[in-house]
Amino acid sequence: MSKKETPSTGSNLTQSQLLLWTGQKLSPDAPLYNMVLTFEIQGAIDVSRFQLAFRHLIGQSDALRTVFIEEEGIPRQQVLSDFSYRLEVVDWSENSGSLEDELSWLSNRNSIRFDLSKRLFESKLLKKSEHQWIWYLNQHHLITDAWAVSVLYRKMADLYQRLGNGTLSSATPLPVYQDYLDYEKNVRFGTPNAKVSAYWEKTQAKLPPPPRLYGHPGLASTTKATRVFLDLGAERSDRLRQLAMEKDLRSWTPHLSLFNIFVSVLFAYLYRVSAQTRLAIGTPTHNRTTADFKETPGVFIEVLPLVTEIEPNDTFSTLLQRVRAEANEFLMNAQPGTATPELSQGFNVVLNYIHATFSDFDGMAVKSTWLHPGHVDPRHHLRLQIYDFDVQGSMQLDFDLNQDVFDASLRQRVPTHFLKLLDSFIADRFQPIGQAALPDKEEYKELTGDLNQLKMAESNTGTVVDLFQGRAAKNPDATAISYMGKPITYRDLDERSNQLARYLLKKEILKGERLAVYLPRTPEFLISILGILKAGCAFIPIATDNPDQRVQQILASAQPGMLLTTDTLSQAVAGAEVAILRIDMEWPAIAEEKPAHPDVELSPDMLAYIMFTSGSTGNPKGVMIAHGALSHYSKWAKGKYAENLKPIFPLFTSVGFDLTVTSIFVPLISGGTVVVFREADTGPDLSLLDVIEDKTVNIVKLTPAHLALLRGKDMTGSNIKTLIVGGEDLTSDLARSISQSFNSQVRIFNEYGPTEATVGCVIHEFDLNTDTQTSVPIGKPIPNMQAYVLDVHKNPVPQGVSGELYLAGAGLANGYWNDTELTAERFVDNKFATGSLMYCTGDMARLNQAGELEFLGRVDHQVKIGGIRVEPGEVEAALRMHPAITDCVVVLQAHPGASDIDKISNCVRCGLPSNYPNVSFDDSGTCELCLSFDTYQEKAGQYFKTPGELHTLFEEGREKKQDKYDCMMLLSGGKDSTYALAQLVEMGVKVLAYTLDNGYISDEAKANIERVAAHLGVDHIYGTTPAMNAIFVDSLKRHSNVCNGCFKTLYTLSTKVALEKGIPFIVTGLSRGQFFETRLTEELFWKENVDVKGIDEIILNARKAYHRVNDAVNKLLDTSMFADDQVFEKVRFIDFYRFNNVSMDEMMQYLEEHLPWIRPSDTGRSTNCLINQLGIYVHKKEQGYSNYAFPYSWDVRLGHKTRQGALDEINEEIDQHEVHRMMGEIGYTGTERRPRDEKHLVAFYTASSRIAQSDLRNHLAGLVPEYMVPSYFRHLESLPLTANGKIDHKALPDLHIEQPEVDVPYVAPGTEVEEILADIWTEVLQVNQIGINDNFLGLGGNSLSAIRIIARIEDSLKLELPVNRIFEKPTISALANHIEETILAMLEAHKEQG
Amino acid sequence: MRQVLIEYIEEQLLSGREGMKVDAKDDLMGSGLIDSMGMMRFIRFIEDHFEINVPPEDLVIENFMTIEDIDNYLRRRKSV
Repeated sequence: MSKKETPSTGSNLTQSQLLLWTGQKLSPDAPLYNMVLTFEIQGAIDVSRFQLAFRHLIGQSDALRTVFIEEEGIPRQQVLSDFSYRLEVVDWSENSGSLEDELSWLSNRNSIRFDLSKRLFESKLLKKSEHQWIWYLNQHHLITDAWAVSVLYRKMADLYQRLGNGTLSSATPLPVYQDYLDYEKNVRFGTPNAKVSAYWEKTQAKLPPPPRLYGHPGLASTTKATRVFLDLGAERSDRLRQLAMEKDLRSWTPHLSLFNIFVSVLFAYLYRVSAQTRLAIGTPTHNRTTADFKETPGVFIEVLPLVTEIEPNDTFSTLLQRVRAEANEFLMNAQPGTATPELSQGFNVVLNYIHATFSDFDGMAVKSTWLHPGHVDPRHHLRLQIYDFDVQGSMQLDFDLNQDVFDASLRQRVPTHFLKLLDSFIADRFQPIGQAALPDKEEYKELTGDLNQLKMAESNTGTVVDLFQGRAAKNPDATAISYMGKPITYRDLDERSNQLARYLLKKEILKGERLAVYLPRTPEFLISILGILKAGCAFIPIATDNPDQRVQQILASAQPGMLLTTDTLSQAVAGAEVAILRIDMEWPAIAEEKPAHPDVELSPDMLAYIMFTSGSTGNPKGVMIAHGALSHYSKWAKGKYAENLKPIFPLFTSVGFDLTVTSIFVPLISGGTVVVFREADTGPDLSLLDVIEDKTVNIVKLTPAHLALLRGKDMTGSNIKTLIVGGEDLTSDLARSISQSFNSQVRIFNEYGPTEATVGCVIHEFDLNTDTQTSVPIGKPIPNMQAYVLDVHKNPVPQGVSGELYLAGAGLANGYWNDTELTAERFVDNKFATGSLMYCTGDMARLNQAGELEFLGRVDHQVKIGGIRVEPGEVEAALRMHPAITDCVVVLQAHPGASDIDKISNCVRCGLPSNYPNVSFDDSGTCELCLSFDTYQEKAGQYFKTPGELHTLFEEGREKKQDKYDCMMLLSGGKDSTYALAQLVEMGVKVLAYTLDNGYISDEAKANIERVAAHLGVDHIYGTTPAMNAIFVDSLKRHSNVCNGCFKTLYTLSTKVALEKGIPFIVTGLSRGQFFETRLTEELFWKENVDVKGIDEIILNARKAYHRVNDAVNKLLDTSMFADDQVFEKVRFIDFYRFNNVSMDEMMQYLEEHLPWIRPSDTGRSTNCLINQLGIYVHKKEQGYSNYAFPYSWDVRLGHKTRQGALDEINEEIDQHEVHRMMGEIGYTGTERRPRDEKHLVAFYTASSRIAQSDLRNHLAGLVPEYMVPSYFRHLESLPLTANGKIDHKALPDLHIEQPEVDVPYVAPGTEVEEILADIWTEVLQVNQIGINDNFLGLGGNSLSAIRIIARIEDSLKLELPVNRIFEKPTISALANHIEETILAMLEAHKEQG
Repeated sequence: MRQVLIEYIEEQLLSGREGMKVDAKDDLMGSGLIDSMGMMRFIRFIEDHFEINVPPEDLVIENFMTIEDIDNYLRRRKSV
C-alpha cells in the first residue's frame, strides 16, 4: 500500500465524512461534532517536551492537518503541508481557579465552532499543579473518531517518552489517512458484492419510521442536548461479562456479545417507550479491518441501521437470538462507503459501543473523560455511548439526550428506565421484555401527582332518591321540572312518583326488579324513573327514536318485569312478551294512590339503572349501574358544577345515553330545575335549537357534535354559564370558538367517562390560555376514582407514551347485564388495589407533561400501516389544526389492485387513472395534479428560457470544447428529438447525434434516424452494450418497466463518449411534459419567488445521486467517471425544450415540410422501441396502471396530447405472445415483488371549500411523522353522523370504488347459459334476484366469491375459466356470451382435430 | 485451501506486516489477531471465494476458531 499523502487538489470525502459534513451544514452554528477528551495525568509533565511531542504528532497524522473546502457545493478535503500550531499551557495552579471557573472554561472551549476550512482541532495543556496536568484535545468528528483518539493518545505518550530517552529516531510513523480514503473509494466504486448490495437493499426496504420516544412527535427543534451519565458499577458490569460468556448469549468476541446484549436491551427499551414494534437503531461499524487501519487516526466509523421486529411476546432471550443473527449479517455486510442519507432516515437513536481504551502516560496514571459539547445532530434524539476507557471494569454509559425531546425530568428517567430493563435482563433473560414496569412507584406517584389521590368524604345521605326527597322536604314549592312553560314543583314530583311507586308495588313488582321506560322526554319520563327507583327497582331507559327492532332486542335481552310507555308507543312493542303499563291511560288509577313515600329501603349496592349501549357484535349490551355509583357521580357533579348556582339543566338529548343522567339528577339533588324538551315524533331531534333560545337554562350537558352547532352564534345574551361536554373528543379549536361565542363568559368542562364508569369520571376545565394542544385534555380523575394508562402487559407506561386507559373506583359499573363473559373480559383485577376491579375502556390515552390525561382515540380504530401502528385520531387532531378545516375523519381504505379494473376511473381532465398512487381526486373527478398545476403553472414558466439563451450557452461552451463538436444530441428518432436536432443544425451548432441501440429499435425508426442524420449532414453514432438485457431485467425488477434502465444506460454511455471526445454539452429531446414528470415538482414552486438557480442545483444534485444508485447499470457498465463530481462540470446536460416552446402542430408541420421523417408503423403509436410494450405489460400487471399513464397525463396537461389520445394509448392492446417471447429473449423470469401495501390512510374533511392536497400535506408534515400523512384527501359537504352524534365510519364513501350509481333495470336471464349463471350467482352471492346486466362487484362480489363461482361453472359446464374472467366480464350477460363463444371455439377445434 | 485463507488474513487483515504471521492452529479471535468485524469480512470472503453460503446457524465460533477449523468446516460442506 502506498504511503503517499493527499495531492494538493484534495480528495473527495468518504461517504461517512459526507454525511457528517452535510449534518454540520444543516446546523451550521451548532458544535454537533466536537469530540472532546481530557486526560488527567498524575505526575510531573515536562512542558516543552510535551509541546514538542505534540508538534511531532501533528506531523505524523495527516488527519490532524486536514481541512475541508467547498467548491460550488462540493466539499473536498486537503491536507495542509505548511502547518504550525503551538500547544498552549493554561495555568490553573497560580490563581487557584475555582472548579466552577474550570468547568466554565471547559464548557466554553468544548462548544467552539470550528471553521471547516481551517484547523479542526484545539489542544491545551492545563496545569492544575506541578503534579497534576490535564491534556485537553478537542477535534471535529470529520477528522477523528473514538478509536482515532486512542491512537493519537498512544502515539503522543510514545513520542513524549522517546523524546525523553532519546529514541525518537526508532519510532515507527503513523500510517496515513489517505490510504483509507483510497481504500474506501475503491470499495465504493469497485465491483459491488451482490450479497452486500442485496442485504442493504433489503434493509432499506424494511426500515421503519423513527420511533416517537415518550410520545415526542417528529423532528427535534433544537440541537441542544444534555449528557446524562450512568456508571453500571463493577458488580453489574461483571455480571454482564459473565452472561456474555453463556452459550446462548455468546458471539464471536466478548465485546460483540456485550454489544448484542446492549442492542437487545435498547430495542426492548425503545419498544417500551414508543410502543413501536419495528425498530431501527444506528450503530457505527469501525471499518478498521486491517492492522494498519487500526493504527491510523482519522474518521473511519460509519453509522448504519440495525433493524429488528419486536414480537409482543418476546423475552429478552428470544429478542437477543434475533439480534445476534442480525448483528452477524450486519457486520458481514458493513462495507466502507455503505452509509447513505436514505439508510440514516430510519433511526433517531444511535448506540455506540466503544472499544477504545487509554493506558498510562509515560508511566503516569491517567483518568480520561469524554466531554459533551452540549449539542448533537438533531436527527439523533438519543445517543447512547458505552465505554470503559480506563479499563476499570465498570462500564460507563453516556446518554446524550436532545433537550426538545426530553425535558429535564424525563432526562433523569431515561437512564433509570433503561437500567430497569438491563437489570431485568440480568435477573432473568427468559422473562418477557414487557414484564417489568418502567416507572417505579416513586416515579409513578410523581408523574400522576394528585391523579388517583383525591378522596371524597362519604356523605351521610345515601341515594339520589334520598337526596331528592331531602330537597323536596326543604323546598317543596321550588320548580323541579319545567315543561312547555308549565312548572312542576318538587312536592308535585315527589308525590306523583310516590304514587307511581306504590302503584307498581301493588302490581306485584318486586324490589330489585328491572323496569323498562319507553317514553318521550316528558315530565312522565322523570316521574317514571323516580317512581321506579322509589319502588326499589332499576330503570332501563329506551329512547323513542330507536327502531322498533332495537327496542325489541333490548326488551328480549333485559327481560324487564314491566314496560312503562304510552298508549301510542306501546304499538311498537306489540309482540313483546312483557307486561305493559300505559302511563297516560292508567294515570287516573295511579293518582288514586297515597302520595306518601312507599318506604322501600334502598342501599348503595342495589341496581339503579341498566343502560343499553351498542355492542361490537351488533347486539346492545346492558351496563348495570348501582345506586352507590349513581349517587357518587351525582354528588360529585353537584359539587363541581352547581356549587355557586342553582342549576337549570335542559333535558334535550336521547335518554338512551347516560349523558342525560347528568341533566336529570344533578338539578334534582341540588334544588335546581330540569327543563324538559320533548323530541319530535318523527324526523330529526332539533331540540338543541330550542335550548339555545331558552332564557332560563344556565347549564347544559352536551356532546362536541352538539356544541359545534353553536359555532359562530352570538351567545352573549344567553343565560348559559356552564357547558359540560362529554361523549367524544373535544378539540381546543371548538372549545375556543365556543368560548368566543360567549365572549369568554362561560365555563367549559371536558368530562370523560364511559357508561361503564358512570357518566363521567375524568374532568378538565377548558382554559383558553393554556389549552393550546389540538384536543382539550380530559384531565384528572374525580375523587374516589382512579385512572391508569397501561401497556399490553398492564404496566403503567411512562409519561408521554400512549397506552390503554383503565378506570377503577366508586363509579365502576357492576358489569354487563346477563353477560358474565364480557364482564370478565372488560372488568379485570386491579393490580394497583388488590381485591378491586378496573375497567378496560378501550380508549387510548397518555399522560401529558402537566400530569393530565389526553384522549387519543379508540383502540379498535387503531390501524396498522406497514406494521406501524397509527392512531387515526391523532392524524385527525393534527388535521383539525389547519385553519380552514372544520372537521375531519381519517380511515384506512383498501387500494384497488390490478384486478380491480372496474373500480378505476380516469381524471376528467388529464386521464390519470384513479389507482395512481398518492393522488387524490375531487368530487368532479379531477386529479390533484391538475388542480395544483393550475396554481403554479404560471410560476413554473420562469424555469423556461429562450432560444437566444441556448445560443449563448453554446457560444460559451465553444471555448471549452476539445473536439470539433459543440454538443452531442441524443436522437431517439422520435419527433421531439428529430425536430430538436434540425433546430440545432439551423442554429449553426456542430452536432454529434447519438442513439442508444438497445436491440429493440424498430427498423422503420432506424431508417428514420439514418435518413434524417444524412439529410441534415450530421455525424451519427450508435451506442450499444452487451449488458443491455441484464439491465432490462434489473429495471423490470426495480421499476416494473424497461425505460428506467434504458434511459440510465443512454445517459451513462453518452456521457462517457462526450467525456472522451471532450464534448461540453449533451442535448436531450425530453418534452416539457417529461420535465414536470421527472423533476419539476410542485414543491419547487412553493416559494414566493422562483429560485431558478436553486432548482438547477437541486436537479444537478438529483442527477449525481441518480448516477450513484447501485443498480445493474452501475454494476455492469463502467461508471467510474461519476465517482468524481467533476464529470458533471465537464459534460453538462441541456434540455432543448427548456429553450424552445414549439407547439405540436408547428413541430409536425416542420417535420413534414423540411425533413424526411416518417411516422413508424411497426411499433406502438408513441414509441420507436419494441420492448416498450413488455415494460408496459409488466407495469400494468404489477402496479395496476401503465407506466405511461403519468407522463402522458403531463402531456395532456401541457396541451401536447388530448385526454382521449392519452387514454387510447395507455389502454392499447398488448400483444402478450410477443411480450412473452421478448421475456424469454432478455432472460426475465418474473419478479418476486412484495405485494404493495394494499391499504392507505384516507382523510375526509369538511371546510368551506376544497383545500389543495399539497397544502394539507405540508400542514401535516410539521405535525405528524411522514407515515401518518394520509395518501388521499377528500372534501365533503358534511361528515356522516350516527344517531348518537358520532361520526359514522361505515357511511363514509370508499374513495376507490366510488362511482356514479346507475340503476340497472332488471333483465331476466334468457339463454340456457345465462340461467345457469344466474342460479350460481344467486347461490354464491346470496342475492334474491339477479339481472343479467347487474355488476358482479355491485352485488358485493369479491375475489373469494369469484373463485366459488368459477368452481361452480366448471362443475356445471365442464369448462375451465380463469378467476379474473369474472372481473373482466362482470355481468351475467357478458360472461355468458364469453362462455358460449369459448364453447363454440372448442367445438370447432375439436371438429378440425377429428 | 489453507494457504488461500492464510494469505487473505495476512494480506488483507494484517496489512502484510512482517511480524504478523498466521499459523493454522492460531486462535484467530482469541489471540486478538482479528476482531469480529474482521472475522465477518473474512467469512464473506470465504463465501465468495469458495462459492458457498454460510447459513446463519453455521456462524459459530466452533467453525471458525482457527484456520484448521475453517478448513474442516469447508471440507464438511463440500462432502455434503
